[in-house]
Amino acid sequence: MTLTLTRRTFLKAGFTTAAVGAAGVPLAALPAEAKGWNWERGVCRFCGTGCGIRVASKDGRVVAVKGDLQNPVNRGLLCAKGYACAQILYGQDRLKRPLLRKKDGKFDKQGDFVEVSWQEAFDVMKAQWSKAHKALGPTGVAVMGSGQYTIQEGYAAVKLVKAGWRSNNLDPNARHCMASAVAAFMQTFGIDEPSGCFDDIELTDTVVTWGANMAEMHPMLWARVIDERLRRPGYRIINLTTYANATSEGADVEIVFKPNTDLAIWNYLAREVVKRGAVDQDYVAKHCVFAAGPTDIGFGLREDSLKAYAPEKDTQARQKTVVLTKEEAIARGLDPAARHEKAQTASGSAQRHWLISFEEFQKGLEPYTLDFVATLAKGEPDESLEAFKAKLVQLADEYANPARKQVSFWTMGFNQHTRGTWVNEQAYMLHLLTGKQARPGAGAFSLTGQPSACGTAREVGTFAHRLPADMNVDDAGHRKHSEEIWNLPAKTLNPKIGSHIVQMMRDLEDGKVKWLWVQVTNPFQSSANANHWIEAARKLDNFIVVSDVYPTLSSKVADLILPSAMIYEKWGGYGNAERRTQLWRQVVLPPGEARSDLWQMMEFSKRFSLAEVWGEQPVPGLEAEGYEKGKLPSVLPAAEAKGYKTDSTLYDVLFATAAARKFAWPDPVADRKPNSTVAHAGITWFPEKALFEEYRQFGLGHGHDLAPFDTYFKRDVSGLRWPVVDGKETLWRFNDQYDPYAKKGSGIDFYGTALKKLPTGDLNGPKPGDAVALPGKAKIFFRPWQEPPESPDATYDLWLCTGRVLEHWHSGTMTRRVPQLHAAVPEALLFMHTKDADKRGLKAGDLAWIESRRGKIQARVTLGGRNKVPRGLVYVPWFDEGVFINKITLDATCPISKETDFKKCAVRITKV
Amino acid sequence: MNRTVLLLSLSALQLLAGPPAKPVSDKSLGLSRTSVFDTPAPPLFTDEASGPGEKALPKRINQEYPPVIPHSLVDCIPITRSSNLCMDCHAVPGPKKKGEPTPIPASHFVDLRRAPEAKGAQVAGTRYVCLSCHVPRTDAPPAIGSTYRP
Repeated sequence: MTLTLTRRTFLKAGFTTAAVGAAGVPLAALPAEAKGWNWERGVCRFCGTGCGIRVASKDGRVVAVKGDLQNPVNRGLLCAKGYACAQILYGQDRLKRPLLRKKDGKFDKQGDFVEVSWQEAFDVMKAQWSKAHKALGPTGVAVMGSGQYTIQEGYAAVKLVKAGWRSNNLDPNARHCMASAVAAFMQTFGIDEPSGCFDDIELTDTVVTWGANMAEMHPMLWARVIDERLRRPGYRIINLTTYANATSEGADVEIVFKPNTDLAIWNYLAREVVKRGAVDQDYVAKHCVFAAGPTDIGFGLREDSLKAYAPEKDTQARQKTVVLTKEEAIARGLDPAARHEKAQTASGSAQRHWLISFEEFQKGLEPYTLDFVATLAKGEPDESLEAFKAKLVQLADEYANPARKQVSFWTMGFNQHTRGTWVNEQAYMLHLLTGKQARPGAGAFSLTGQPSACGTAREVGTFAHRLPADMNVDDAGHRKHSEEIWNLPAKTLNPKIGSHIVQMMRDLEDGKVKWLWVQVTNPFQSSANANHWIEAARKLDNFIVVSDVYPTLSSKVADLILPSAMIYEKWGGYGNAERRTQLWRQVVLPPGEARSDLWQMMEFSKRFSLAEVWGEQPVPGLEAEGYEKGKLPSVLPAAEAKGYKTDSTLYDVLFATAAARKFAWPDPVADRKPNSTVAHAGITWFPEKALFEEYRQFGLGHGHDLAPFDTYFKRDVSGLRWPVVDGKETLWRFNDQYDPYAKKGSGIDFYGTALKKLPTGDLNGPKPGDAVALPGKAKIFFRPWQEPPESPDATYDLWLCTGRVLEHWHSGTMTRRVPQLHAAVPEALLFMHTKDADKRGLKAGDLAWIESRRGKIQARVTLGGRNKVPRGLVYVPWFDEGVFINKITLDATCPISKETDFKKCAVRITKV
Repeated sequence: MNRTVLLLSLSALQLLAGPPAKPVSDKSLGLSRTSVFDTPAPPLFTDEASGPGEKALPKRINQEYPPVIPHSLVDCIPITRSSNLCMDCHAVPGPKKKGEPTPIPASHFVDLRRAPEAKGAQVAGTRYVCLSCHVPRTDAPPAIGSTYRP
């Protein structure tokens, strides 16, 4: 129906200001604060913004939350999800007891779920672990963790899996979220995480969002951007995206580009900056070098799957060989009329790179003219080429202007990309070329989607290749340092990198992983090409444990479901996207027999004797200096020499150490708040504090310094951005005015040490000669644009892009149980262009089949709403397990970061 | 369709609720009570279609939760740089009068970052995008019950 808005006025110039003077309800007229509410400081459960929250509890229950006025991240405001942080605890189907599949009183993979005691749950879980471990060794077991692990949980998982089980099969869902950002930070700066901070929003002149629908995904950062746009004339917002979205509505300029062509746009911009003489020569000469890497690197697809569906095989074949399109030939400076077949020979060494000259860099950029890039990249068929060109020029004018500062933000549009590492590096390329990196208000800035993607997944190192504080398992020095801090015998740690989360799914299908523990994540809903993995989970001989707070899609395919405590029911800490570490106290008790994930890991570790895990172990493919091929040596004699006994448990050795037990519970910092981990374990020490303090040792003096545990609970502290040196946080890393690790007088010092010794060559490869050390330098990479692994064709004729919506977070496990959020967005819709719908006889509300080479599902069509997709592209959010879009998506990854590309594959849509 | 979903969810709840629990099939767990191998047809839900003031205001969730938008958004969105029709209607002086839009509260006129003590002359920029906090609604019933109480 049409509405009549009596007071409507369209204000043509500038923002509506709602200048109503003294209007509004007086503050005093707001509902009075309810009596008996106790307010405690917390952190929002959802995205990587890390909004500060005040949690109200009464009679042992959380009754409300509000934004923390003191916290500079969000200054008293929250988004629609954040305000629901009280309600997410109270869905009616909270898991309260372990559930095990049983038949005739015994575990049976084909059985239904029956409530069991924790004792029985752990008995079966351990017997199944031992069965898998005996058959396959440490690589036969795996843990899928999360960027929603608290810092302490992630750290406990690293210790249990890597030190205890000597397996590197620990990888977080954060692999799907920001692994590309990590890889690019390491390759560019030699150290992980952003140089800037959220203060940049108020200090910059222009915010450029690339593949980041900030208005829906980071609403409280967007609030700061819009606030600044309203206050400051000349402040600008430019949104680069593959479809018009909510961020476009606030932007000054919207640039809709064709999927995957962001790489070409960056190269056009760099070419312009060079041509216009806008390179900051002094900055580049002092702080940067130029680099390149192999180009025929595949798409992270399987080459050898016996279980591939017949229609999948043509896409998978591109993992081995690619025939260049005409445009790809032009971009490589080759004859576009000739046939160029490129074996993807570098797929195993995609991360390799070398130094090149500025002239070589310029040569790489040369094909990316305005004409070439505009024709390639225009994403809105109904926009004229001239209009699109004008916008690209406007963007170049902005970046090339030395008098204006820019912050380039990106999220999943860059990270979930088969060239994710490259496109991250291209953002640094432009900011480094123009000298606009690591300076207040200027920088390329990767935003994260999870509350502790940075704090836990990255900083603690819950990746298959990582150890804490940016260290790696395949580095002998890093292993040694970790073994010393953890008081482990030498060679306890396994030097072979474990399976990343996509590979774990493939291993499950191939019978290489037979025991899997999923914690704080929902990977069977969130992994692309899901038909394969749910089939593997349900129909093969393996054992899957899922710890969660509600029954999820992953728990439906599990064999054992463990009930977990959530957020304010436990002590914890998260690290947000601007390096801000925030810790919180437990506020209420978990329901029923739900237990903290930390308790679950500590209790389970009691069931392992050193004799079982620290003897000689087979590790297929292990090759490292000082190790027999394919084997981890027994470290039992060395363990005994250290005073351990062969019947010591992993609990004794990893968790209840003499040092840990010195952190007594109760502790004054608790301020009389409970600790259910302590109560359920029946201990008198404080594991969350002990683990945090032990973890801190890894970062102190290495540029990752955290403050002592107690500091984060001080009244005037709302989290601190690391490195925290002498009690002072760091706002801009690498900048000698702000970062104590940057050499004084250097101006800028990119002091990261990883990957800082490189051979020299040209665009085609390195030349023989000595490697060059690069202290203090960042790398400006040349990365070419290439076609993605799968594009629309005659059979599958539309692009599919997936993502989130403001009201729901990730797989909707929490937010869909909040009535008003569910009522707002009750299901995932298929966003289509009207003309594409017309062609298929579809109208709004109709049921449609969405089909790819990998599967088909049904969804309801919407033709307008918040995402206005161009012809040729459809969008489906992934939060809804009833519209299981990851049955459709392609499990191609960035070959360097191993992060899945959820943003593009080819589908066809038909009417049901 | 909606009713079937609701009935199924209630029966699953009963199974999970009180000990001694009966065995539960994986189908009956979670929010879509189907096998993971099924490809269900999603139900049809309809956006709120009533005009401003036509329906009674829904009960506040708690004193901190921003009120849910009770009316259709069709003629109100998008909120862009040049027009915010939410503010055009709701920028009325308080207190709330029957049949009039709910006034934007005084809290919204405070710039919490720069001048948290003072009431400004206009709505704070951080609050400009109303839909960041105030959600719309459809006719969808809750996916599952909630034991939350303020």
